Amino acid sequence: QQSFVFNTITVQGNQRIETGTILTQLGIQRGQAVSAADLNDAIQAVRASGLFENVDADLQGGTLVLRVQEYPTINRISFEGNSRISAEQLATLVSSTERRVFNPTQATEDANRIIQAYANEGRINASVTPSFINRTDNRVDLVFEIVEGAVTEIERISFVGNSAFGDGRLRRVLDTKEAGLLRAIVGRDTYSPDRINVDRRLLTDFYQSRGYADFRVQNVDVALTAARDAYVVTFNVEEGPRYRMGNVTLSSTLPEADGAAFGNILRVSQGDVYSPTSIDADVQRIENQALRLGLNFVRVNPIITRDPASLRLNLEYRLERGERLFIERIDIEGNTTTLDRVVRSQFRTVEGDPFNPRAIRESAARIRALGFFSDAQVNTRQGSAPDQVVIDVDVVEQPTGSASFGVNFGSDDGAALVASYQEQNFLGRGQSLGLTLSTGETNQVLSFSFAEPMLFGRDLRGGIDLSYRRTESDYALYNTSNFRFSPSLQFPISERGRIGVNYALTYTDIFNVDDDASELIKEEAALGEQWSNSVGYSYTWDSRRNGVDERTSFGFRFSQDFGFGDTTYIRSAALATAQTRVFSDEVLLRATLEGGYLHYSDGESRVTDRYFMGSRVMRGFRSGGIGPRDENSDDPLGGNAFAVLRLEAEFPLGLPEEYGISGGAFLDYGSLWDVGKQVDGVTIISDDAIARAVAGVSLFWTTPLGPLRFNFSTPITVEDYDNTRGFELTVSTAF
Amino acid sequence: CSSNESSVLRQPGALDAYSAEQVFDLGEQQLNENRLDDAAFFFGEIERLYPYSSWARRGLIMQAFAYHRARDYENSRSAAQRYVDFYPTDEDAAYAQYLLALSYYDQIDDIGRDQGVTFRALQELRRVIELYPDSEYATAAVQKFDLAFDHLAGKEMEVGRYYLSRGNFTAAISRFRVVVEDFQTTTYTPEALMRLVEAYMALGLTDEARSAAAILGHNYQSTPFYADAYALLTGRGLSPEASGDNWLVAIYRQVVRGEWM
Amino acid sequence: CTPVQRNHGYIPTEDMIAGLNVGDSRASVISAIGEPAAQSVQGQGAFYYVQSRFETFGAFAPREIDRQVLAVTFTPAGTLQNIARYGLQDGNVVILSRRVTDEQVGDMTFIRQLLGNFGRVDAASMLGTSE
Repeated sequence: QQSFVFNTITVQGNQRIETGTILTQLGIQRGQAVSAADLNDAIQAVRASGLFENVDADLQGGTLVLRVQEYPTINRISFEGNSRISAEQLATLVSSTERRVFNPTQATEDANRIIQAYANEGRINASVTPSFINRTDNRVDLVFEIVEGAVTEIERISFVGNSAFGDGRLRRVLDTKEAGLLRAIVGRDTYSPDRINVDRRLLTDFYQSRGYADFRVQNVDVALTAARDAYVVTFNVEEGPRYRMGNVTLSSTLPEADGAAFGNILRVSQGDVYSPTSIDADVQRIENQALRLGLNFVRVNPIITRDPASLRLNLEYRLERGERLFIERIDIEGNTTTLDRVVRSQFRTVEGDPFNPRAIRESAARIRALGFFSDAQVNTRQGSAPDQVVIDVDVVEQPTGSASFGVNFGSDDGAALVASYQEQNFLGRGQSLGLTLSTGETNQVLSFSFAEPMLFGRDLRGGIDLSYRRTESDYALYNTSNFRFSPSLQFPISERGRIGVNYALTYTDIFNVDDDASELIKEEAALGEQWSNSVGYSYTWDSRRNGVDERTSFGFRFSQDFGFGDTTYIRSAALATAQTRVFSDEVLLRATLEGGYLHYSDGESRVTDRYFMGSRVMRGFRSGGIGPRDENSDDPLGGNAFAVLRLEAEFPLGLPEEYGISGGAFLDYGSLWDVGKQVDGVTIISDDAIARAVAGVSLFWTTPLGPLRFNFSTPITVEDYDNTRGFELTVSTAF
Repeated sequence: CSSNESSVLRQPGALDAYSAEQVFDLGEQQLNENRLDDAAFFFGEIERLYPYSSWARRGLIMQAFAYHRARDYENSRSAAQRYVDFYPTDEDAAYAQYLLALSYYDQIDDIGRDQGVTFRALQELRRVIELYPDSEYATAAVQKFDLAFDHLAGKEMEVGRYYLSRGNFTAAISRFRVVVEDFQTTTYTPEALMRLVEAYMALGLTDEARSAAAILGHNYQSTPFYADAYALLTGRGLSPEASGDNWLVAIYRQVVRGEWM
Repeated sequence: CTPVQRNHGYIPTEDMIAGLNVGDSRASVISAIGEPAAQSVQGQGAFYYVQSRFETFGAFAPREIDRQVLAVTFTPAGTLQNIARYGLQDGNVVILSRRVTDEQVGDMTFIRQLLGNFGRVDAASMLGTSE
């Protein structure tokens, strides 16, 4: 076994790379005994550094001479012939970078990546060749010459073998679209193999969720049209029979869990159409119930056995022992301002608890619902032992507040200072703080609101609101001023129900009433300042709080305030809303019923107490444009009672996602009535509950400022003295 | 040269006629006039135009320095990384590695609670200490290493206190044990030992509490934490009334001052 | 309103514990009943498995209503010596000391957050939420 000893090692041909660097890569010291194999490995190591075009060595007596030829360094990278994809986008795909070493294999890899990018854009016959121009000093310019090839659009999509659903209906399900009028804008009408695979899955999901358990896309054949400038795509499908559910049973292989405890919570029942989503919802319900019963490591396995004779699917939910895993640590990263406990308190599981994937998914949803993060990824990785799991929470913070300070000069009333500071995540503690101040002549507002969601470290939201408002309203001939101070508490009382309790101290005053204002208001103003205390409660219930993501969801809110002191009254308000998604989850339908009733047992309501239906409650009317009115002074008097039904639909307009624009339609049907008093000499019109109806369309636009909603409404049945309004711009609020 | 002149020189090809040394001087000039971004650009151009000159190497380290002073940590990091890759044995390599470590370390104070960046800072600082032990940056790196290490321990303590105050004693014990075992050199160890005494006592494991208090007494006798732990062990711990914390004071302390214990 | 109940921690089931016998090594205990939730300070001491049930009633603090502690102690040679059980009644109510090691890295300050928000406007305040 021949071995060598070198007393000197020299390197020739290296220009930029330091000799020291090459020697460290070689790894052989002077005077060290080296076998032929070690020598070869060492030279191989230098080659592996990827810095040299070729490396060879020869031995002259005791000296080892290493001759290297460096790859040139890249001076500039440029792209020629690209129009559909911009140079910046291409630059991100390419791994070779300026000022680093040019490596031919890397260049060809980059070329393939560019070709793939074009294929995704529908240009499947694009070609890309990397070429380089030599520069002085062993430098080179790398140029990617691109030939994009003709756009290949899809002329027609057709289906073979479908009888249950027509071609038109199936086309709406697909992600790929036929080239229509908006050919230039809509990108999805170009042929792209990846998108066709997505379509195969969309079709399968569509059919399976309507009972066709055996549905299969046999094949998709793609042919060029006679003119060879576009494609015809044909989906050959095999629908199979439509199955309904047979008997649905629940069995358990776990000694500590018996099936009876889960019986009544199943929704899928005999005779239903087979639908994977509703089965999954059942699985979620069973797992939640297992959690409630304190059973650990329970996994629900829905086993479906086919009975082709009767076209029935028998379903057995089998409770099985899941993997015994424990949460070792929950590590939260990326929270630059938010405190760790604000994110950690969204987890109901604690370190050391059994690992339950569903509970972790729910916690991730709660973290995102905080609204403090533009992105919140929760994923798991192996811990320090096989049965230990570490939960990694990576969040990216986003701005959560706004502050504005301005002075505006109204024409008649001089300078008005306007300042507002809103923060949802105050000092990173999850507290919300709001402060607005405006000292205009026509209206002065000072409002302060603060809420701590985790009072005493519990799921107990403590809030305090303080506001003083002095208005000289433009639609009535009198001034009002009111002050309100209200601390409140809110806490969960069941999995989906929350109760709030509050105390409120209010002060109202009506003053310098114009002499041709309504006599009723003059009489009310004569009562002067009024202080009143009230205590109240509110109960809210939201079906989505149990973590079962179902297509339809319900919400309910009922509140009552009991006033005592100068006047005693009960103000009750209720709101019930239901929402569902149809047409493969693209269209949202929502129905909301809202009402309020103010009942005075001692004293009477005043215009500052009564309801005025703003556009958030019923659309299509100017401020005070609906409800009881003084016949001769035409002053709106407000009402002690209101009720409204809002039917809404939201649907995409087919524009690409990034525009953030979607459409909507609505119908509002409701009324405001009952001034609650008679004043001689004043005839009150529309004091009784005459229903008004308004319909309209709206445009939703999510802007960096927030989700805006443009409402265009037309009255259907309104009273002739109502003041309607055709257009309004509001912030769109989700239920 | 004034700022508009430097923008003229930034047009592609404007510097081709300049020699490496001239471009280097241009860069230094910008640096002195605190136009850091321009300075970094010029130092980068040397590397592109004359990659084999010794100026290119000096330009690269100056580029890393300029970006770092401009708090542009991303670019400073990539320039320092390139220097360490190409010139690992050069006399400025230690400074390049140190700049690389600082690009993470300096982000710690404005990233507050984030743990990921602290971890990277520790890795790079360790490389400075191990690869260049006798460079003048090794001592500064050791001192910054301890501060970053302390910061990581602070995060473990914060989570431990969270679970302790909510009564999840086993989770708290695991976190405080991590501090006692992996972070003994930090300033948090005495408090971690006291918290362990509290947690074991809460679970009723008095002999575990006593052994934790023994370690605390042996190593940190003079700290106030030992006094608290000793009082707890000998049954003279704070009685509920003595802590004088009615709900109004509790709200003020937790909501306004943000203290949670 | 119904109190909300929640379980934390994990106690091995009776038949798993029955599988342990005196003289087992630490590793075989772990493979039988899993990693311990808590250990003694030096790590070479006993294994503790704790499971507790918390009940929250409305606005009141969550109360620990049941706790089972399983303590597995070992001889200095590292073989299983004894299995003991503790309950909620063995625990003590400990008032936590409020002394905290001071932090070098301060939290987000009000001024910095105020400046961070300056100039940013959100739709709600701009449009003035009409009641």
